[in-house]
Amino acid sequence: MNGFSLAWRSVIRKPVKSVLLFVTVFIISLLLLSAMSSGKATIQMQDNTRQAIGAGLLLEENEADRHRRIDELARQLAHEEGSLGGYHQEKITINGAESWRTWTDHSFETLLLYDIERIADTEGIAGYNITTVTTAVRPVDFIRIEDVDVDQYSDLGGVSLIGNKDMSMDSNFLSGNAYITEGRMIKEGEKDVCVISAELAIKNQLEIGCKISFGNCRDKEDSMTYEAEVVGIYQVNQPIVPYMFGDTYRSENIIFTDLDFPEKAEGKAGDPLYEKAYFKIANVNDYETVKRSVMEADIAWERYDLIDNNGNMDTLSANFNEMEKYARVLVWAISGAGLVILFLIFQFWMKSRNREMGIMLSMGTSKMQMLAQIMTEALMIAAAAVLISFLAAPGVSGLTADYLVEQQIQSAEEQDLLEEGKVAFSYEKSEQNVVGVRAEITPGMFLQDAAGIVLLITISVCGSGIAVLKRNPRDILQDL
Amino acid sequence: MILEAKNVEYAYKCQKQRNILNNISVRFEEKKFYTIVGASGAGKTTLLSLLAGLDRPTAGAVLYEGEDILTKGLGYHRKNHVSLVFQEYNLIDYLTAEENVRLGGTDQPQELLAKVNIPKEAWKRNVMKLSGGQQQRIAIARALASKAKVLLADEPTGNLDEPTAVDITTLLKRMAHEAGKCVIVVTHSKYLANEADEVVQITNGTI
Repeated sequence: MNGFSLAWRSVIRKPVKSVLLFVTVFIISLLLLSAMSSGKATIQMQDNTRQAIGAGLLLEENEADRHRRIDELARQLAHEEGSLGGYHQEKITINGAESWRTWTDHSFETLLLYDIERIADTEGIAGYNITTVTTAVRPVDFIRIEDVDVDQYSDLGGVSLIGNKDMSMDSNFLSGNAYITEGRMIKEGEKDVCVISAELAIKNQLEIGCKISFGNCRDKEDSMTYEAEVVGIYQVNQPIVPYMFGDTYRSENIIFTDLDFPEKAEGKAGDPLYEKAYFKIANVNDYETVKRSVMEADIAWERYDLIDNNGNMDTLSANFNEMEKYARVLVWAISGAGLVILFLIFQFWMKSRNREMGIMLSMGTSKMQMLAQIMTEALMIAAAAVLISFLAAPGVSGLTADYLVEQQIQSAEEQDLLEEGKVAFSYEKSEQNVVGVRAEITPGMFLQDAAGIVLLITISVCGSGIAVLKRNPRDILQDL
Repeated sequence: MILEAKNVEYAYKCQKQRNILNNISVRFEEKKFYTIVGASGAGKTTLLSLLAGLDRPTAGAVLYEGEDILTKGLGYHRKNHVSLVFQEYNLIDYLTAEENVRLGGTDQPQELLAKVNIPKEAWKRNVMKLSGGQQQRIAIARALASKAKVLLADEPTGNLDEPTAVDITTLLKRMAHEAGKCVIVVTHSKYLANEADEVVQITNGTI
């Protein structure tokens, strides 16, 4: 009779110990899966300030992730001057006091072109647009619109450029707020072209075909200028909401350009800063299906918010307060508690099987074979328990994720109350409401869970086995 | 000569000043039925444990066919050279009679169970549901299933009534004389001692 058939008989014919281990492993596995899926849960949020227009999806940078990346890079640089991943820090002295200056560059802030293209490859996406960040530049051979009653001392004295890959999908034109009154929109692939406001055209007597020049407005010593041809003139129904305070960003001073022009005019050719990407869905009836397919694209989703036309977006738990951290702590806590409980169970197994071990050892079975038999029994029971837990996990993980989200919201509210009026945030928190939580269990989680259970069982079987099996057979038999 | 204890001494690790066995030398041959007798605490079971390779002597050596059993390892000795029968039967409690005998290393347990007079209806029953006499006979059948040339038994009739004890004694004798094994039995039973081909008397750890 081989070890496997002996193990099988022991599992079946000694039901008390088998059931005890089965229930324990089932609970540990279920809790591990729930904690893991909560750590990767998607929190469905609604943002009333941001919406994709029409049958499209909007991709923007996630603010919480941005700050976490900055914190991480700052931690890696420690207290040294230097640059890492587009983050820079240097020591400065102000009024004799040493301080730190930190900043990020375009490579840190931009949406990644690779990720945008991966999403655009999703079936059901008809086309896409990339919009650059609103870029302040110096008007060289034309004058901007200014409010004569406002002191312009603190203003950059420039105009702002917005580059688009496909201008027809720019949010201002898509919403119908802006429209072409003369000329045309910029076509995809065109270079060094622009569309100006009717006010700027009138003020500077600019017409279609005219060329206007721009320069760097932040570096006064930079004398380079960049020329763009006016191909269209636009008008707005309502002034475009300014990006920042000041006449540089006022609606009439916004100039739409081709995608690459803003970075060039800023003196940073080849170093783009993409702020938004818009994906047009081919068939509006497939909106939800395509949205789900897009969300399955293999990109670093923690960097982004994907916003639909109702302002709904899915936020990963990594970007939702400290939910991922809590879930990770939960996984470790469950593993730790599981290890202790399993160790005690196997201690009970070993003690209750002293006689069997003595007999088997007296018949020449090696200690390793005994340990292997117990391991086989444990793995048989654990396999059944883990399989059942896989079936139960989807339901339970949803409840766990719901609970963790509620806890996070509650603690965030308490924190906000405590900090009210005392803490200044480096970024504006948007108005977002949680409308749902989706916790999915992936095949990877199943594998991690199964591997974790095997590891816990191996450690506890070996740990409890050592105490018994280090004795010689005679001592064990004398105990009987 | 198949098994030999040569100048064997044994002391518990915690009581090194007091030897349980003192310079014991004894030889055992095949086809013979030996009994080891002596007062309680004389060292009978300790000697049997050392012969079985359940422990190692403090001094001296146990030789199997002239070779120290430590050379190939005690586990190897237990698996290939000896089979054991205990007073407490020591059967695996979740197995049937057949399965327990199968553990000894045979694919034909029925033949052996029949040989030790276990009724057919008991073959597939859990051993814990059988009588003490039946359990001991199954333990002997398991020992018979082994190809080992030496059978060591510690008080095999200690828990049995007289008729069953006689029955078991006959069985052990048959194993020595018919199956050709070297049967060494530790016992307090005068009857069993009288049936032996040779009696080894131990007094205070010496022969």
